[in-house]
Amino acid sequence: MAEESAARKDDDIRILAFLCNWCSYAGADLAGVSRLQYPAKVLDVRVMCTGTISPYFVIKAFQEGMDGVLIAGCHIGDCHYLKGNYMTAKRFQVLRETLKFLGLEEGRLRLEWVSAAEGEKYAEVIRSFTEEIEKLGPSPLRKKKAEVGA
Amino acid sequence: MSDLKSLIKEKLNDGADAFLCLKEEEGTLLPALITDADSPDLELAAVGEARYPLGKILIDLLREYPDKRFAVLVRGCDERALIELSKLEQVDLDRLVMVGVACTEEEARACGCPRPYPSEVALGEKVEAAPGRETIAEVESLSDAERLRWWKEEFSRCIKCYGCRNICPMCFCKDCALENPHLVEPGVIPPEFPSFHVIRALDMAGRCIDCGLCEEACPADIPLRSLYRRMQEIMEEKLGYRAGESAEEKSPLSFLGSEQDIKKLERE
Repeated sequence: MAEESAARKDDDIRILAFLCNWCSYAGADLAGVSRLQYPAKVLDVRVMCTGTISPYFVIKAFQEGMDGVLIAGCHIGDCHYLKGNYMTAKRFQVLRETLKFLGLEEGRLRLEWVSAAEGEKYAEVIRSFTEEIEKLGPSPLRKKKAEVGA
Repeated sequence: MSDLKSLIKEKLNDGADAFLCLKEEEGTLLPALITDADSPDLELAAVGEARYPLGKILIDLLREYPDKRFAVLVRGCDERALIELSKLEQVDLDRLVMVGVACTEEEARACGCPRPYPSEVALGEKVEAAPGRETIAEVESLSDAERLRWWKEEFSRCIKCYGCRNICPMCFCKDCALENPHLVEPGVIPPEFPSFHVIRALDMAGRCIDCGLCEEACPADIPLRSLYRRMQEIMEEKLGYRAGESAEEKSPLSFLGSEQDIKKLERE
């Protein structure tokens, strides 16, 4: 990990993506096996359902220096657990507005519904999200080098 | 209108096993539980000028004495808190008799309360109040970067005393996220931005009843109330819910809901 961060340039952006096991992770996998091209700036975290993602995780991700956070899950109505993503949809609204009120650019947090069949959509989401984050630049919540003690 | 002492006697006669209120002893307001009309505390019972989250004591009392009924002195904010706590399964409204106190005009203005009286007023006169929104408007007028700087500066004064959480009538969890070392690093003062304060703000969504005790308790004068008041506005704008208003309608963040609700949310 230490070597990896040393290799990472300061202005390189990094995105954390929470992918639901049943739809979006399979969608990302499909994008991979279909050899679709998309920027490799995303670290993904597979979760069983987007409903398990506490807003705390998103806050923590920003605090740890992520420049953007993507949450991707099943389309409404297609959730493997029937209604898990309803919770995500509601929480997301509150979380986005809160971060906006605190002064984090709105674009840094995104919610997308990507099914297991939508490999192309997944690649497109990553392309457009990466582009948006690159435009915004490194997150203002990133710790400065001095603070980390590096 | 009658005075507090006769109200306490009346409620104790009417089947309440105890009356939870405040007493004034040597110039200090303290919580008091009066169980019979001969109690020496009865003479000291007072409404007082200070506020106190009696609901927090009530949660423990109701749990410890599952077959007793309690009467409690409530201001507007206390009533909202108890209503919200009942939906979160912390208090049993059926075993509670609320005795309402309306705040005086001076108190209401000083506190900036959205509704300085409970639904039934037994003591005092109702006054209306217009809560200020100046701080929120000021923050909203800033650009993203300025807003972030503004909040960072405010939060940089935090000494992590947990006063906001401890005084909060809506905070009752045994395991607090603010004490989770994975979320908030222990021993760091001021606590790292955004974790500590934003976690608390997010927990206040759908819960905060806008009593303002957090800001009153804060030794660093952090404008917490404006932050949580904005959380209330967000809940109202996005999910159409206001905490502490109705005893039946639950917070949308506490149940899954229907597909129509979510589709409506997405269209907006």
